[in-house]
Amino acid sequence: MRTANKTKRLMPRKLVARTNPHSIAAEQYRTIRTNINFSTPDLHSRVILFTSAAKEEGKSTTAANMAIVFAETGKKVLLIDADMRRPTLYRTFQLGNNTGLSNLLLRKGSLKQSVKVSGIANLDLLMSGQIPPNPAELLEADALDELIAEMRETYDYILFDSPPILSVTDSKILANRCDGTVLVVNTGKSEKISVEKARDSLATAKALILGVVLNNYPMNKENYYYHNYNE
Amino acid sequence: MESTFNLNKFLKAMQKRKALIIFVTLAFVVFSAVASYTLIKPVYKATTQILINQNTAINQDFTSLDIDTNLQLIGTYNVIIKSPAILTTVIEKLQLDETVQSLTDRITVNNIESSQVVTLSVEDSSMKGAVLVANTTAQVFQEEIQRMMKVDNVSILAAAETTANPNPIRPDPIFNMVIGAIVGLAFGVGITLILEQLNTTVRSEEDIEEMAGLQILGVVSQVDSNLKMEKPLNLTTRLEKDHYADSEQDKKVNAAKIGGSY
Repeated sequence: MRTANKTKRLMPRKLVARTNPHSIAAEQYRTIRTNINFSTPDLHSRVILFTSAAKEEGKSTTAANMAIVFAETGKKVLLIDADMRRPTLYRTFQLGNNTGLSNLLLRKGSLKQSVKVSGIANLDLLMSGQIPPNPAELLEADALDELIAEMRETYDYILFDSPPILSVTDSKILANRCDGTVLVVNTGKSEKISVEKARDSLATAKALILGVVLNNYPMNKENYYYHNYNE
Repeated sequence: MESTFNLNKFLKAMQKRKALIIFVTLAFVVFSAVASYTLIKPVYKATTQILINQNTAINQDFTSLDIDTNLQLIGTYNVIIKSPAILTTVIEKLQLDETVQSLTDRITVNNIESSQVVTLSVEDSSMKGAVLVANTTAQVFQEEIQRMMKVDNVSILAAAETTANPNPIRPDPIFNMVIGAIVGLAFGVGITLILEQLNTTVRSEEDIEEMAGLQILGVVSQVDSNLKMEKPLNLTTRLEKDHYADSEQDKKVNAAKIGGSY
């Protein structure tokens, strides 16, 4: 179990796009932002799912940082913790997890009430809420479609952070409802075979795969120019 | 899965495991050096030259036929030198603690380029021993041949000599170290290839594009843990206020508890 103290130390590293806006990583998130915008040109508001094949590949970190760089552009962004099994967003932003997605899917409370301010301009957060016994069934209900429709009215970018796609079915359901899915791959850790399986499960869910984010990518000469540019 | 051999990838892999390859190569070189200088017993070699000449006294006219005969004779003599008849006598004379068979293995007999000169080489763990065995064998052979063939046609051309600073013929440390280096290099490359094959994780953008046919949106480098915060997050105070303000609403929303917890 993580202590509160450790969480506090982890946080600045996790939200690097906020804490170190000139870092290489922040710049790389902005590159991804641009590429996502190019791959979904026609959409007025974009509902994007972040998932990965296995756990701990960096979904939540990627989603949180992407939310920050999207918010930088002045668009309204909502970051949702759709991992109702192992929620992390409330820890990353050091907030409570009393209300959130699970409550809204049970039609308890309104979106406006449940959304929390992140402290970052244009970025709102929706926690996972109380851990329900049946996350997959909750997501499969019509309530999700209605909720997404409601979100689209207020927000330009709606980012879902989800459980690993090969472990539970939640992400498949979500991927089907989202405009696009970003697959997070942990360089040097993710097995090729599981990435292929993840791709295939997304295909069966009729999800649009926007592309892959290679997380934990080893630094090499190729990305040194990011550094030099700002110095 | 990976059917095609990619030279570029191969070289990159080698580059990545440079240290391992160099280490394995050096380890093999050091091992062969240590083995050469300490573990392997040195072997010395002494050589005597024996001249074989048929019919010396009887016929003064040399014909090519004579030389042919001589050569055939040399073939016979080569066998005789290594025969138990000679070697048993050598062993007895020198009181060696070995069998005829093991002595045979240490002796090589050659005749030089269809000449009538036969070289008799003996290997031994000491130069002195090698010289002694070589000379004794030549002597015994000379004496025995007179008795066996009833002719005196063997003369010792050059007896084996002990040099001041004899070099062992085996092991040759430099040669062994070169072999060690080659084997070590091959070993290191082999290990690298195996490690590359065993690693089934995604490691590069090409991996994703080739195998999964997915496009790369971008890469995120490892975040340096020593990175100094440029901008303090400064969220906590505001957020805590929000959080407590929310808690009243939370209570309302959660009045009926959601399902069971697990």
